[in-house]
Amino acid sequence: MDTLGLARLQFAVTTSFHFLFVLLTLGLVTLVAVMQTRATLSANPVHARMTRFWGRLYVVNYALGIATGIVMEFQFGLNWSGLSHYAGDVFGAPLAVETLVAFFLESTFLGLWIFGWDRLNRWAHLALIWLVTLTAYASALWIMTANAFLQHPVGHEERDGVLRLVDFSALLSNPLFGMAVVHVVFAALTVGGVFVTGVSAFHFIRRTTEVEFFRRSLRLGVVVTALATPLVVGVGFAQFPIIGEFQPDKSEAAGAAGGAGLGFMILIGFLLLLASWITVPLLFRDWIVKLRFPLYLMVIGIPLPFIAAIGGWLFRELGRQPWLVYGLLRTEDAMSHATRDGMLFSFIAFTAVFAVLAVADWVLIARLAKRGPVEASVPVSPLVPAL
Amino acid sequence: MALLGLLTAGYFALAGFDYGVGLLYRFLGRDEAERARVLRAMTPFFLGNEVWLVAAVGVLFGAFPRLEGELLSEHRIAFVIVLVGLVLFTAAVQLRIGPFWDVFVVGGALVVAVGWGVLLADVLGGPPVLWAFGLVSLFLLHGAVFLAWRLDDRARVLVVARVLFAPVGLFVVAAVFLRGPVALPAVGLAGAVVALAGLAGAWFALRARAFRVAFLCTAVVCAVPALAVFGARGVVTPGVMSHTPTLQALGWVAAVVLPLVLVFQWATWRLSRAAR
Repeated sequence: MDTLGLARLQFAVTTSFHFLFVLLTLGLVTLVAVMQTRATLSANPVHARMTRFWGRLYVVNYALGIATGIVMEFQFGLNWSGLSHYAGDVFGAPLAVETLVAFFLESTFLGLWIFGWDRLNRWAHLALIWLVTLTAYASALWIMTANAFLQHPVGHEERDGVLRLVDFSALLSNPLFGMAVVHVVFAALTVGGVFVTGVSAFHFIRRTTEVEFFRRSLRLGVVVTALATPLVVGVGFAQFPIIGEFQPDKSEAAGAAGGAGLGFMILIGFLLLLASWITVPLLFRDWIVKLRFPLYLMVIGIPLPFIAAIGGWLFRELGRQPWLVYGLLRTEDAMSHATRDGMLFSFIAFTAVFAVLAVADWVLIARLAKRGPVEASVPVSPLVPAL
Repeated sequence: MALLGLLTAGYFALAGFDYGVGLLYRFLGRDEAERARVLRAMTPFFLGNEVWLVAAVGVLFGAFPRLEGELLSEHRIAFVIVLVGLVLFTAAVQLRIGPFWDVFVVGGALVVAVGWGVLLADVLGGPPVLWAFGLVSLFLLHGAVFLAWRLDDRARVLVVARVLFAPVGLFVVAAVFLRGPVALPAVGLAGAVVALAGLAGAWFALRARAFRVAFLCTAVVCAVPALAVFGARGVVTPGVMSHTPTLQALGWVAAVVLPLVLVFQWATWRLSRAAR
C-alpha cells in the first residue's frame, strides 16, 4: 500500500475506534443524567444506586475515549497538513471551538462531578452531570459542523490560494449539517439505550436478586431505544434528497465498502426500531423477563448499533472521495510530506495502541457490568475513588 | 497569540506534575496502599490538566493553521512518540487496578517527558539527549514539589525534590549554551533567566516550608521551556495566523470558556483541599 493509502487507512481506523467510544459516552451520559435527576427528586435510593453503577461504566469509557480524542486532534496536522494550510481558517474554527467548549469544559465539569461525589450539594452535583451532557452534545454539534464543511464547503472565499472564513453562521446553516447532527445524536441515544437494555437483560438471565434495580434500568433502556430509533431512521432517510442535491455521485464514490456500510446501517436501524416497539408492551408486568428468550436477543444486540454507526460513517466519508474538501481539495493533495516508512510507523503505533485501548475498555466495562451494583470494596481506578 | 501561549503554559505547568507524580509514585510508595495514596493526590486534577493540551492544539489549528500543519508534519516522529506515551499514560493512570499497570504508568510518563524533550530540542536545534534529560528531571521536580505540598508525610519526597534542583539548573544553563541558531535569542535568554529565578524561588520556598509558593515557582519553570523555545525561534508570526473573522469568532468563544474553566478547575482544587 502506498503512503496515501496508509494515511487514509490510519485515519479510518483511528476515527472508527474513536467513534465507538464517543457513541457510548454520548448515549450513556444522557441516561445517567436522567437517572441522577430521578435520584435527586425521589426518595427511593435505587435511583442513586443506578446513577452510581451506570455512571461508573460511563466514566471508564470516557476516560479511555479521551486518549483516542487527543490523537485524533493531532492527526490532522501530522498527516494532513495540506488541509490546515488550505482550509484551516474555515475548518479549524469549528474544530477549535469544539476543543474549547466541549473537550476543555466537559472534562473540567466531569472531573468535578467525579470528585464531587458525596462532597457537593446534591443539586450542584446534578447540575454538573447536565453540564457534562450539554457539553458532550456541543462537541457532537461542532464536530459535525466541521465535517459538514468537508462535505459541502460553505461560508468561505478563496484568496491567495487559501480559504478565508467570510460567514461563520453559514457553517451552522449548512444543509449537510443539521439533519446529520440530529441523526448522530439519536444514533448515540440508541447506542446508550441498547447498551443499558442489554446489560440489564444479562442480569435477568443470571436471575439477579436486584430485580427492581434492573427492571428500572431495562425499562429506561427500552423506552430510550424505542423513542430514539424512529427518529434516527426517519432523519437518516430524510438526508437522501439533500445528498442527492449536493453529492449526486455519493453512492458510486462510496464504492462497495461504503455501500455495504449503508446497507447494514439501514437493516440494523429497522431491526432495532421493530424490536424496541415490540418490547414496549411486553414491559407490562415484566412479561419480557418471564418470556426469557428476548433477554438473550437483547444481550446479543449490544454491538448492533455500533456496527450500524460505523457503517453509516464509512458511507458518508468514503462517498466524499476523491475530495477531502468537496470540490475544492483532493485527498491526495492534502497529505503531509511524509515518507512511507514514517507513515507505516505511525499507522502501526496508533493502530496497536487504539486496539489495546478498545479491548481494555470492553474487558473492563464487561467486568464491571457483570459484577453488578455491588458496593466496591476497592475503587475501580484511582480516578474514580468515589465510584 | 496570548491565548495559545496561555494554554500551552497551562498544559506544561499542570500536566508537568502529572508526569512527575507518574514517574515518582512507584519509588515513593513502599507498599500498594502508599502508592495508591500518592497517585490519588494527583488524580482529581488529571482530566482537567491533560485537556489544556487538547485546547492548545485546537487553538493552534483554528488560529494558526499554517503553523500547525508545518510544525506537526515536520516533527512527525517526536509527536508520534509524545502521543503514544500520552495515550499509554492516560489510560494506565485511570485503569490502574493492579501493580501490573505500573509499567505503563511509569513508562508512559517517561515516554511523554522524553518525547517533549526531543521535540523541543528538534525545534531549537539543541542536543536531544540534554533536553530529554532536562524535561524528565524538570517534571520530576515539579511532581515532587506538588507531592510535598499535598501529602502529609513529606520527608522522603522533600529529599527527592532537593536532589533534583541541581540537574534542572544545569539543564537550563546548558540549554542556553548548546542551542542552534535562532531568530530571537533574547527571548530564549529571558526564558532561562525566568526559569532560574523560578528555581531559586522554589528552593527558598521549600526551605521556608511554603509549599504552595514552591509549587507555583516550579509550575512557572515547567511552563517556560516550550514558550522560550517557540518564542526564540520566532515561529509564531502574523503570517501563519488565520484571518480576522476566524480570530474574532475564536476570541469570543475563548472569552466565555476560559473563565468558566478557570472557575471550575479552581473549585476542584478548593474541594480537594477541604477533603484532605
